[in-house]
Amino acid sequence: VTAIRVTEQWRVTQQTGYLNSVSERLDKIQQQMSTGRRIARASDDPAGASLALHYRDSLDFETQMRRNMDNGTSFMNVTEAALNSATDALQRVRELTVQAANDTLAQQDRQAIAKEVDQLIQHLAQIGNSTFGDAYIFSGHLTKTPAFLVTGNPPTAITFQGDTGQRLHRISRQDTVAVNVDGQTAFGTMFTDLITLRDNLIAGGPAATISASLSDIDKALDKVLQARADVGAKLNRLEASKATSVQADINLQELRSGIEEVDLPTAIVQLQSQQNALQAALGAIGRTSNMSLIDFMR
Amino acid sequence: VGLSIGLDTAVKALRSHQLAVDVASHNIANAQSPGFSRQRVLLRPMGLDGSDHFTRDALLGRAGFGVNAKDVNRIRDIFLDFQTRQALSTKSQFGATASALSQAELVFNDPTDDGISKLLANFWAAWQDVVNDPESAAARTTVVQATQTLTTRLQRAHSELTTQRDDLNGQVSSIGDRINAAASELASVNFQIKQVELSGDMANDLRDRRDVLLDQLASIGQVSYSEQQDKTVTVYLGNHELVTGNTARKVQAVADQANPGMTKLTFVVDNADVTTTTGELRGLYDARDKDLPNLLAKLDTLAAGLIGSVNTLHVAGYGADNPPSTGVPFFTGTNASDIALNAVLAANPQAIAAASGPNLPGDGTNALAIADLQLAPNMVAGTAATNLIVGEQVAAGPVTVDGVTIGSVLTPGAYFMTINGGNLDLHFGSAAGPVVGSAALADIPTGTGTIVFTSGPNTVATIRVQNAGALPFTIAQQQAAFTTAGNDTIQIEQSPEPYYANIVSVLGADANGAKGLADSSELLTSHLDAMRQSVSGVNLDEEMTNLNASQHAYNAAARVITTIDDMLDTLINRTGVTR
Repeated sequence: VTAIRVTEQWRVTQQTGYLNSVSERLDKIQQQMSTGRRIARASDDPAGASLALHYRDSLDFETQMRRNMDNGTSFMNVTEAALNSATDALQRVRELTVQAANDTLAQQDRQAIAKEVDQLIQHLAQIGNSTFGDAYIFSGHLTKTPAFLVTGNPPTAITFQGDTGQRLHRISRQDTVAVNVDGQTAFGTMFTDLITLRDNLIAGGPAATISASLSDIDKALDKVLQARADVGAKLNRLEASKATSVQADINLQELRSGIEEVDLPTAIVQLQSQQNALQAALGAIGRTSNMSLIDFMR
Repeated sequence: VGLSIGLDTAVKALRSHQLAVDVASHNIANAQSPGFSRQRVLLRPMGLDGSDHFTRDALLGRAGFGVNAKDVNRIRDIFLDFQTRQALSTKSQFGATASALSQAELVFNDPTDDGISKLLANFWAAWQDVVNDPESAAARTTVVQATQTLTTRLQRAHSELTTQRDDLNGQVSSIGDRINAAASELASVNFQIKQVELSGDMANDLRDRRDVLLDQLASIGQVSYSEQQDKTVTVYLGNHELVTGNTARKVQAVADQANPGMTKLTFVVDNADVTTTTGELRGLYDARDKDLPNLLAKLDTLAAGLIGSVNTLHVAGYGADNPPSTGVPFFTGTNASDIALNAVLAANPQAIAAASGPNLPGDGTNALAIADLQLAPNMVAGTAATNLIVGEQVAAGPVTVDGVTIGSVLTPGAYFMTINGGNLDLHFGSAAGPVVGSAALADIPTGTGTIVFTSGPNTVATIRVQNAGALPFTIAQQQAAFTTAGNDTIQIEQSPEPYYANIVSVLGADANGAKGLADSSELLTSHLDAMRQSVSGVNLDEEMTNLNASQHAYNAAARVITTIDDMLDTLINRTGVTR
């Protein structure tokens, strides 16, 4: 009979080797279960690690994009509110102008209207100098400087002292959005036109000069409404992009966890089977290592 | 003759079985000694003169002269030894590489929430926050902190890898000591075996020791050996004599002039390099001179890419301080070992050049340009030297450089350049094939520079041109220069994150591969060891059985003596005596 001779040393080597490998596997599963991670280091799954890193980068990028969008949204919300107030104020100026353009109005009445218009001009100047944090929102890039310089009280001139710089936010790999509207674009020559109107009202007419201002007011309204529409459209775009980004985030999280994380039910089954293997190995070693011819010899 | 010969035969039997019991006892005692080969008494019937010649016995027409138990052989299969040593050599080679690579992996510690990858992401995020809020001092401070964390980490990775490399270098020296210890012991064992076996005895235990030493040497390096007439073995390490008879050639660790800061092993006798294609020494050399330098180079590329690309933009921008700083490099240093945030910016975060013009506190366009470097392919991930001329083949088939397959960026196949109006087009397949990218002729550098082939927003390939020729260089001259081999290379460029992910996954794959090879050669070694054990190892049950058999034989021989004694008693005391 030719059989492999099993020797004492070999039995020991074999048994310790087997026990080591079972314990190593058991340890690995235990480690995976306690950390919840399938990939502890890249060599556990090089291709998976590469994907996991890619997903992580993309997740971080998406998170940052949403941060950018949130910041941009806040900025534009302030802008939109300012432009809404400006629209209201301009509407009121228009009503007053229509009223003042009536031939039957006395000079005294026009002067009273002039007072209200002056208040509205100052209100509009305040709107033009709205801030977001430390920044004057209508100043372009010169955000530390008020967008409009008000000279005199009551104002004799209100001049734009910002620039037309765009405040670009990155919202995706491909796109950036300018979240600001500069005062020049939003208000044009509104302040000069309104000051002229006010001065004409103080002068008391004539009605023709006053009604001539109506077209200026309409032009200003158009500009502000245009800016408002622009901001509104961008806000909608940010909202949509954010929804896309949130969805991308969910997908990426799922992909990342699918690669990096342990599937618990599978891991539990594996743990159980490795435990059984270890138990069986220990049992077998316990039984066979007791067997020796010595026990049977006198 | 007669009865006294019978007694002699019985005494020989007693001695022989006594020896067999001694041998079994020796075997049992060494059942757990590594490298021990079981021994067997060779029992043979003996002739009158103690030789194995039976003819005379036959002539005399009588029984033989008993048993001869002079030789005690060890049971050993030299082919298994040979195979085992080869497997051991491979196992230690990849074992050494695997352990070095797995240590290197710890340096990167990715993918995790606090690896270099995360720190890079934080760095870009900090820049984005400056874009969102250029007026904010806090956002600038965050850039300072994110940058310092990143650079510290890159420097640490660099120094840890360097330290690991130095440790491997230290192991090379200690391997020299191990070679010397094993070789000199082997030489002395050689001498003893020769002495013992010349006298006709078997030096079994010495031979076992010699085999253990050969195993040790085989796991260190590539050894070849052969047993000589005088029973000594001659051992070669690589192709250089290591042990001849009782002479061992010493090796020494000396500074390697060709490899600054590193040592190599040479033979003292003739200063020849110790060369080996396998074994632990090969694994150490590979990890020390290939794997780790490769990793360090990639880490340096990453750092240099960041330094170069960020600095170029940063010096052109303006700070929010008064007067506005400009022309300030963002990083200092040139690679991963010394990359650092410029101390000027660390002391004064307001000097961070977020604006593209002076006195524009709300301008974050330069910061945006810097943040966008995250998406820009500005790391050279791989280069392949090519020889390009207009209308000629650029590269055939996918070319893999440093783990990056160019074919995955440029579709596998051949590439051609043609001039098309104001553009230099890169075609796939043939000069008439589809255009995979193009570069404006006007952008082709004069002298040394890079031709960037783009397709839409993507860079598909860049061709680095190096010409030492006089400037200005005409397009025609530039094209002519392409005909000189080695003048140009194709570079594959990646943005920082994929480049870094590639470092980690290539390292992971290498570590995994080395571990796989180490494991499989471990499996082979253990299989061969099983076979070796099966031949040479001690089985206690077997020894007990032999012991038992020898005991019975001894008892029987003793019985023979008693019987002859009885016979002599009968002969001497009970015959020829009359009363």
